[in-house]
Amino acid sequence: MIRLVDATVEYPNGTRGLDGVTLDISKGELVVVVGLSGAGKSTLIRAINGLVPLTAGELYVDDRPVHQMNRRQLRDLRAEVGMIFQGFNLVDRSTVLNNVMMGRLHHLPTWRTLFSLYPSADLDIAAESLERVGMLERAHSRATALSGGQRQRVGIARALAQQPKVILADEPVASLDPPTSHAVMQHLQSINHSLGITTVINLHFLDLAVTYGERIIGLRDGRVVFDGKGSECTPAVFEGIYGRSLTSGDTLSDEAPLG
Amino acid sequence: MTTPATAVELPAKSPPSRFTIWGSIAAVVLTVVTAITVEFSFLEIVENLFRRNLVVEGLLRPDISQIWSERSARAFVETLQLAILGTASGGVIALPLAMWATDFGNPYPALRATVRTFNAVVRSIPDLLWALLFVTAVGIGVLPGWLALFFFSIAVVSKLTADTLDGIDRGPIEAAQASGASLTALLKTAVVPQILPAYTSFLLYGFELNLRASAVLGLVGAGGIGARIEFFRGRGEWSEVWGLVLMFFLVVFLVERLSVSLRRRLV
Repeated sequence: MIRLVDATVEYPNGTRGLDGVTLDISKGELVVVVGLSGAGKSTLIRAINGLVPLTAGELYVDDRPVHQMNRRQLRDLRAEVGMIFQGFNLVDRSTVLNNVMMGRLHHLPTWRTLFSLYPSADLDIAAESLERVGMLERAHSRATALSGGQRQRVGIARALAQQPKVILADEPVASLDPPTSHAVMQHLQSINHSLGITTVINLHFLDLAVTYGERIIGLRDGRVVFDGKGSECTPAVFEGIYGRSLTSGDTLSDEAPLG
Repeated sequence: MTTPATAVELPAKSPPSRFTIWGSIAAVVLTVVTAITVEFSFLEIVENLFRRNLVVEGLLRPDISQIWSERSARAFVETLQLAILGTASGGVIALPLAMWATDFGNPYPALRATVRTFNAVVRSIPDLLWALLFVTAVGIGVLPGWLALFFFSIAVVSKLTADTLDGIDRGPIEAAQASGASLTALLKTAVVPQILPAYTSFLLYGFELNLRASAVLGLVGAGGIGARIEFFRGRGEWSEVWGLVLMFFLVVFLVERLSVSLRRRLV
């Protein structure tokens, strides 16, 4: 489903977000990417939907070459790849429904978007997505009226409304408290299991990674330094990925479930 | 035990920078030189004030009846129409112009530079000059007045809107891009909702400015109440002029109060 061959992203300042990454993610997989900040997690996710272009190497989504796509083709690709953000990225002044409808924009003619004349079929898809994350009754609330966890669920619904083949989540729980974090992760897990959508999630809490990551990819300095099952991840493995001993800041809960 | 009273000293203040010193000197010198070269004199002002002055005498007995004169009333309505029409048309154009000047609203650097240059040129021309240009181009009347306010509104509203756009939340823009939205759809759903209250308030502010400007426009032949004021001024009928000015003052005052209270609700 997602294939990277020697993928490299070098930023204008010379730092390498990705450094010769070769990866294969199959359809329906749930992959958690871990690594210190600056290890290339965000770059990897943004390369997959073409928000960050590769400077060398190849990247395929659904066998289509992302590294060769023009603006138009990238938009078509992104319509099939839902994205979930750390900061939720909702329009605060708009309603929950209008935020979720953003996921349908690619499928709508511009004049309909301009006058907010959404076809009922698309509204149904949005409602269904909201229902799945338990936010349907808040459809007409303003996004500002929601708590952090609710906002992220709306963010998930927006991605779902795209009816995506792939879901990319960039630190989806980094701004949330522990119980809410688990709730959001469970939503992502159940979506992956029931809809079979290939899911790539960046996390920096290692206990969450072990709990939800069926496959874990460890990045360090833009390179893949670990790729294996969540059950294989011992503290020693994470110390290898991080290049230092683990601290209490590396896990969500205060106990040490990794030990 | 008492400790000897050693005076606690504040660290020395850093002296004013060279920029501050020379800047202040330059400002004073510039003011003095300017005053001398334009032959500014308080004495002259005072002398003129106590001479027999028709303009000031007219001010003491303004002709309020102008308020009920049909021609003046019609000119007034014309001024209001000019202000509304100019604001609405210019304001609508200003919104895309402001958005096309931003990096997220316009992915083509050359086109972005063109829009920015156009905006800068429009902003640098004052309302009265617009009126003069259009009076020359299309003749005396309401049309040049409307055209002048149209461009003036573009200048004011696009400038203020552009400043607001600089500070909006980029998150929703990234979300729209990541969902494959077209540029227009992105602007409509991720940008416009964020700036709508401010933009509406800028429209009202533009209307206030236009109402005042439309009085002056008449002086150069661009229609409205200004044309009427200019008519009486030309005939030296200062009581009538002041009657109209008084009436104009009242209308502008009312409209501004209304506009200010509306704007407060928006933001």
